[in-house]
Amino acid sequence: MKLFPSLSKKPASTAEFEREAVQHLGALLAVATRMTRNGTEAEDLVQDTLVKAMRAREQFESGTNMRAWLLRILTNTFINRYRRGGLEKAVLEGPDADPLADGWVSASTMSAMRDPESTALRPVLEAEIRRALDELPEEFRLAVVLADVEEMSYREIADIMGCPIGTVMSRLHRGRRILKGRLYEHALDMGIVSPEAVVGSGDAPVSLAAFRAKKAVTR
Amino acid sequence: MTAPCRRRNSPLLEPFADGELPTDKTVEVETHLDECECCRESVELSRALKLSLQRAVRSDAEPSTEFAERVTRALSAERERQEERERQPERGRPLAWRFIVPVAAAAGVTLVWGALDQQGKGTHPDGRISANMATSTPGVTASLDQMVDELVSHHVQSRDPDVVEPSQINKLEPEVGVPVRVPSLQQYGLRWEGASVIPVRQLNQRAASLRYSYDGHRVTLYVYNSAQFPLRATLEPRVVRNMPVYVGSRRGYSIAAVEKRGVGYAVATDLDDRESAELVASIH
Repeated sequence: MKLFPSLSKKPASTAEFEREAVQHLGALLAVATRMTRNGTEAEDLVQDTLVKAMRAREQFESGTNMRAWLLRILTNTFINRYRRGGLEKAVLEGPDADPLADGWVSASTMSAMRDPESTALRPVLEAEIRRALDELPEEFRLAVVLADVEEMSYREIADIMGCPIGTVMSRLHRGRRILKGRLYEHALDMGIVSPEAVVGSGDAPVSLAAFRAKKAVTR
Repeated sequence: MTAPCRRRNSPLLEPFADGELPTDKTVEVETHLDECECCRESVELSRALKLSLQRAVRSDAEPSTEFAERVTRALSAERERQEERERQPERGRPLAWRFIVPVAAAAGVTLVWGALDQQGKGTHPDGRISANMATSTPGVTASLDQMVDELVSHHVQSRDPDVVEPSQINKLEPEVGVPVRVPSLQQYGLRWEGASVIPVRQLNQRAASLRYSYDGHRVTLYVYNSAQFPLRATLEPRVVRNMPVYVGSRRGYSIAAVEKRGVGYAVATDLDDRESAELVASIH
């Protein structure tokens, strides 16, 4: 494996590079918006990323995944600019998942949350996702976006976030657990699933009242 | 209602849904899923969540026309800057050295020599920067060679770092005498391991040593006061990304250095010297 594979290759011309990079504008902006939760900052982050990428275009190995490469620059820029030193704190102080959500719910309830027509969630839950994602602690949100939206491997995410793979897995697990908990709660509110389906972290069923009481305390 | 399976919290289920399990474990999970509705639904829900996240996030932010135009303008401006720069040194490699000499001179090479114990001047193997080396003596070159040797030896020994937390690294600053920050090298797949302060006996100085690992290789980045470490005098100058980089090799290791605003950065690696030069040139 070469650190700078491009050394033995002719880099793409600036014009070619520009054309290809701009095609990823939408994908970059989508991720940047989820990271910054702010439209203006997201646009600045994307522009900064593309200009940096253009300067460093010799390092891009043509024929490989440019979107992944751009996302890596975007994520690094985001971490360096906005969150230097602050990330760990967010995780330690961020809200933890409801332990009940870890016990999770019955197979029939999980099935009811999915759209029978597609393999995604029910549309009414999907509409709630963005808000749920925005409320996640930063490190969880970043891990979830990179893994689930950008479909990066644990290894790639670990490199980008500068942490061990185990940490990536734990952030993903905790982030997804919170998301599922929020969506489950929404499903309850919308009457998609029935409350008695809740199963505690032990084997004994837990009442909805206890679930909600617990939820209120952790908020 | 099916009774919950005791494996529904298995640490294998999520990596399975993410396609991160090795084959044997994948088979193990698949076998279990065949007979367990609870875990099967759990995996299905994970996949549904993934798909819905993709749809929600991707449909979320359509770039506005204004923004697309702003980015295009920024990129065009950057392209023109680069093309302008590329046009200049195209008349052949020797011209590039003209760039180095004024830079080296402006950085105050004479000041550097003043900091040495011995009153001598360095020399360059091929004498290309001879303007600054008018009164060189072999003694100083030998001691500078030993300094490079010392850095390489330290790289080889690689003792445990004193500071592991990147945010704590500025604590090294008082000992080293220049700002010490962790440069972002993750984009090359380099993983941060830690930092320490090392003595450089040849110069009676200290440098910060930042350690990274890369695909089983070790990369050490030294940060030092460039006025006290005349590394460039023993290394060969090159132009990488329009800036002077000083490159050399010792005992199969390559070492490459740049200087920015009085701070020197040098990497020692077992990669080839072009890669070391690229790497150190990318620090900003």
